[in-house]
Amino acid sequence: MSNPEERQAQESAGPPEELLRIEGIRKTFPGVVALDSVDFDLRRGEVHVLLGENGAGKSTLIKMLSGAYRPDAGRIVVDGRETRIHGAQDAERLGIATIYQEFNLVPDLTVAENIFLGRQPRRLGMIDRKRMEADAEELLRRVGLTVSPRTRVRELGIARLQMVEIAKALSLDARVLIMDEPTAVLTSEEVDKLFGIVRALREDGVGVVFITHHLEEIAALGDRVTVIRDGKSVGQVPASTPEAELVRLMVGRSIEQQYPRERPELNTTDAPLLRVEGLTRDGVFHDVHFEVRAGEVVGIAGLVGAGRTEVVRAVFGADPYDKGTVEVAGARLPRHDVNAAMAAGVGLVPEDRKGQGLLLDASVEENLGLVTLRSATRAGLVDRRSQRVAAARMAEQLGVRMAGLGQHVRTLSGGNQQKVVIGKWLLADIKVLILDEPTRGIDVGAKVEIYQLVNELTAAGHAVLMISSDLPEVLGMSDRVLVMAQGRIAGELAAGEATQDSVMALAVSTAASPATTPVHNEVEGSRGH
Amino acid sequence: MATDTLKSSTAGAGGLRRVLLDNGALSALVVLVIAMSLLSGDFLTTQNLLNVGVQAAVTAILAFGVTFVIVSAGIDLSVGSVAALSATVLAWAATSEGVPVWIAVILAVVTGIACGFVNGALISYGKLPPFIATLAMLSVGRGLSLVISQGSPIPFPQSVSRIGDTLGGWLPVPVLVMVVMGLITALILGRTFIGRSMFAIGGNEEAARLSGLRVKRQKVVIYALSGLFAAVAGIVLASRLTSAQPQAAQGYELDAIAAVVIGGASLSGGVGKASGTFIGALILAVLRNGLNLLSVSAFWQQVVIGVVIALAVLLDTVRRKAGATPTAAGATSGPGGSKGRQAAQYVIAAVVAAAIIGGISLWNNGSSGKSTKLGLSVSTLNNPFFVQMKAGAQAEAKKEGVKLTVTDAQNDASQQANQLQNFTSEGMSSVIVNPVDSDAVGPAVRGANKADIPVVAADRGVNKAKTATLVASDNVAGGRQAAKTLADKLGGTGKIVILQGTAGTSASRERGQGFAEGIKAYPGIKVVAKQPADFDRTKGLDVMTNMLQANAGVDGVFAENDEMALGAIKALGSKAGKSVAVVGFDGTPDGLKAVEAGTLYASVAQQPKELGRIAVQNAVRAAKDKKVAEMVKVPVKVVTSKNVASFK
Repeated sequence: MSNPEERQAQESAGPPEELLRIEGIRKTFPGVVALDSVDFDLRRGEVHVLLGENGAGKSTLIKMLSGAYRPDAGRIVVDGRETRIHGAQDAERLGIATIYQEFNLVPDLTVAENIFLGRQPRRLGMIDRKRMEADAEELLRRVGLTVSPRTRVRELGIARLQMVEIAKALSLDARVLIMDEPTAVLTSEEVDKLFGIVRALREDGVGVVFITHHLEEIAALGDRVTVIRDGKSVGQVPASTPEAELVRLMVGRSIEQQYPRERPELNTTDAPLLRVEGLTRDGVFHDVHFEVRAGEVVGIAGLVGAGRTEVVRAVFGADPYDKGTVEVAGARLPRHDVNAAMAAGVGLVPEDRKGQGLLLDASVEENLGLVTLRSATRAGLVDRRSQRVAAARMAEQLGVRMAGLGQHVRTLSGGNQQKVVIGKWLLADIKVLILDEPTRGIDVGAKVEIYQLVNELTAAGHAVLMISSDLPEVLGMSDRVLVMAQGRIAGELAAGEATQDSVMALAVSTAASPATTPVHNEVEGSRGH
Repeated sequence: MATDTLKSSTAGAGGLRRVLLDNGALSALVVLVIAMSLLSGDFLTTQNLLNVGVQAAVTAILAFGVTFVIVSAGIDLSVGSVAALSATVLAWAATSEGVPVWIAVILAVVTGIACGFVNGALISYGKLPPFIATLAMLSVGRGLSLVISQGSPIPFPQSVSRIGDTLGGWLPVPVLVMVVMGLITALILGRTFIGRSMFAIGGNEEAARLSGLRVKRQKVVIYALSGLFAAVAGIVLASRLTSAQPQAAQGYELDAIAAVVIGGASLSGGVGKASGTFIGALILAVLRNGLNLLSVSAFWQQVVIGVVIALAVLLDTVRRKAGATPTAAGATSGPGGSKGRQAAQYVIAAVVAAAIIGGISLWNNGSSGKSTKLGLSVSTLNNPFFVQMKAGAQAEAKKEGVKLTVTDAQNDASQQANQLQNFTSEGMSSVIVNPVDSDAVGPAVRGANKADIPVVAADRGVNKAKTATLVASDNVAGGRQAAKTLADKLGGTGKIVILQGTAGTSASRERGQGFAEGIKAYPGIKVVAKQPADFDRTKGLDVMTNMLQANAGVDGVFAENDEMALGAIKALGSKAGKSVAVVGFDGTPDGLKAVEAGTLYASVAQQPKELGRIAVQNAVRAAKDKKVAEMVKVPVKVVTSKNVASFK
């Protein structure tokens, strides 16, 4: 509950020691100004949140600090001395460690080897495994990770990978820890744990630069916030600043409603568009059953690993299943057949946008036309003119911000990339759209645009099935919420009765006792309000 | 000098400069062409440019097929073998089996497609990595073409061989085929469903699958297409040589892959263009042609080619790093208007380049040097025998005061054809050829005949073309002598094994034939095993080791050259020269040393230096229109420890 000013006053008699200062940093890439006069500073023992929409320049800024880019103009001051950071070694020497969204770990090496990669303790030229593992164990204890240092990194889940990254940063005696959206892929429990570790680091005097798109995390963890918009720092405010104000600073306008769901009148006597019954893949999910009606948004909540993605991939035909049926508009779909699902009007926006949704080095036009490639083919030849016209229309309709249809999607911001993935399905006239984590890593402004799209789809009589780990999103956008736990549907909640607590209670319920009534006392959702 | 010219010629046309900057491979080609033109007066002639086209054709057609595979993030190592197999199938069906030619052609094309289909099926459904699946096909294809042809080249049917000729007396058909295949490639990549799928699969296979592309099926089609192109390349190759060679197109897959990558494609998939691949193939052809014209040493040629491949790709990488940015990428290929402008720039660039090159090429009518220039195309310099022959030739040329250009055909009949073509357009006074294959060298020698350039054949004859003289040692007689020497040493009884040379080469055939004839006179000698070791010392060692496992009590070994004999001696260990008598062939320096040491009982010595010397003598005489004998026999002698001293 303490606000940052109070905390500072309590903790230090004098002004807190300044670790890092950036003044008037400018960075241009040919044709683009990525950063233009950005100021930022970091003190000992604080969590300084960097806030901004995707493409605002946050990543460029932290790459400047980690030595990946060099500024064109401006000063970087570390410990009161002006410094140049010309590579990872320089950053390491200055005690600056960065944890990127994509982890820098080698899957087939052990945890200990990863932590000390390139700096393995040596004895007589040989790696001193014993010492390395003992040191690693100590570091793992500090981050509260209970795995053997001899575990292969491949076997760890995403949250634990992150802990290993933090342990690696600690092993470097980092005084500045930069974390790029560390919570984007974590469940709320895992987020709690991460916050505990970050707070402990703060107590130890480490300065943390924290990037997040979850506004509620700012007040929970941060001390100060620097907001970046269009490559400029537009304000520095205390973390206690109201969310609406933060959003206004970030997007340059105020956003009326974060979850603008318009629920259409449902005709419950209609046959469901999508009906799934008894769907089972041994050891992964069991007896999954649900229905989605025309005009409805059904959300699937649950912890990471509950089997949500696996179920929707099986429904879409991307993966096989052992038992059960999937029906679209009353017609049964063959098992493990993406084309049949598509022909029946089902589309999937996958969880891993870059890995499964996009051809990153192809143009916007090509990506938008991917699903309709076959239907635009006559006698083996693709009608590229009609494909281009359709792509141009869709890009316009979705408001994809790009230099032109020829721009490679790799260079688009996350939100615009996601619009392209959704757009390729809209072009294909689908009836049921499955969205798997549709707004992960997307900024507030683009999120709302995607929600508007969902509204338009359901208003047109289509159905949407949406997986999300972002509880406020599931609650705000769904008409019904299915909660999965351990591969089973643990319960179903109507939009009106679903709360963060009730959803979380179901999400952690064991398969043995599929709770249908919310249990309030077990876990508290920590994200959102 | 070269760069100055480039600057001055591009400064005027901003569009041209733009195109060059946007395309690393094209600029590399332009630099190369300018450099070659400045360095050799023979380069920019109409005839030589057509030669470059012909010489690029086979690599380019193979590379077009490989482009499909590489764009879809695969690799195809089998195209060279598949090309040889398809050509062999065609020749075998038409010539040996009497099948109507058009059916034979269809059979050849179907063979290519089938090989590709198997590759694709193994990769898609067998889940083999493309590298492994196509490596397996590389071996299977080569083996099958040897099986079908029994190791010997088969004459190509006349009607199909016209593909290797010219149209209207000047336009070479291979160039035409190359251009047509290139246009088809561009169409497939740019406009067809399967082409667009290649980019999607190469860009992100999982995304393509989740977008409804039938990735597995399409991969099969992609590899089948590559096989189809390989078949076409094989037919073009064999037509040029009027002979289907089971050993043709070895290593061409690497040239094809290099051409694709030089052309700007990424080995990780998703990127690639027909025009780029075409330019890549041209770069390789210009390089080989130019280095021939410049008389660069055969050994250094390989170094230069490697360096240029690396530089061409490096240039592209550097350019991309410097120039390609998010907005630049978007801006250059933006919508409508700028795309049209870009196309216009390309057209302007092409017209300007064609005008400059065409103008100079008309002006250049070949070099007008008056001094005597000789060209020598050696079958391979991987073998000490031919290295010595080359040394003898060079020594004689120096003595006579004539200029001698030596090229190395690397045991590849079509490379040899290219080299002879280059010699012809360079206006050599006379050409010496040491054929890779007597049949396959025919068309190229006929080209020299047409240009009134006398041709001297060295070591092996030339079929179906006119040669001024043949300088050779008699391989068949040598084989007979080897048989006699070995049989006498064994006292007329015993078990022997034979190490054969590379299947399908004339040296192996003739020596083997002579030996077989000679050994008939000794009914007590039994040939217990016969295996090929490809004239190679290491293989000789391995094959001999294996044969000893199966035949312990061997008394004698005949190796069709000294290299294999030396390998066999290694395998025999202490038995060599004691309980087992080894007879080799060629009398190379290493062989003679072994004779001296007693491990090699005898070697049938040709006199390669002498051969080279006499070839040059005759070539000079022929160049001066003096009379030469139709056949000059260089004596062959059996060297044993008794007379070895006189050979050193």
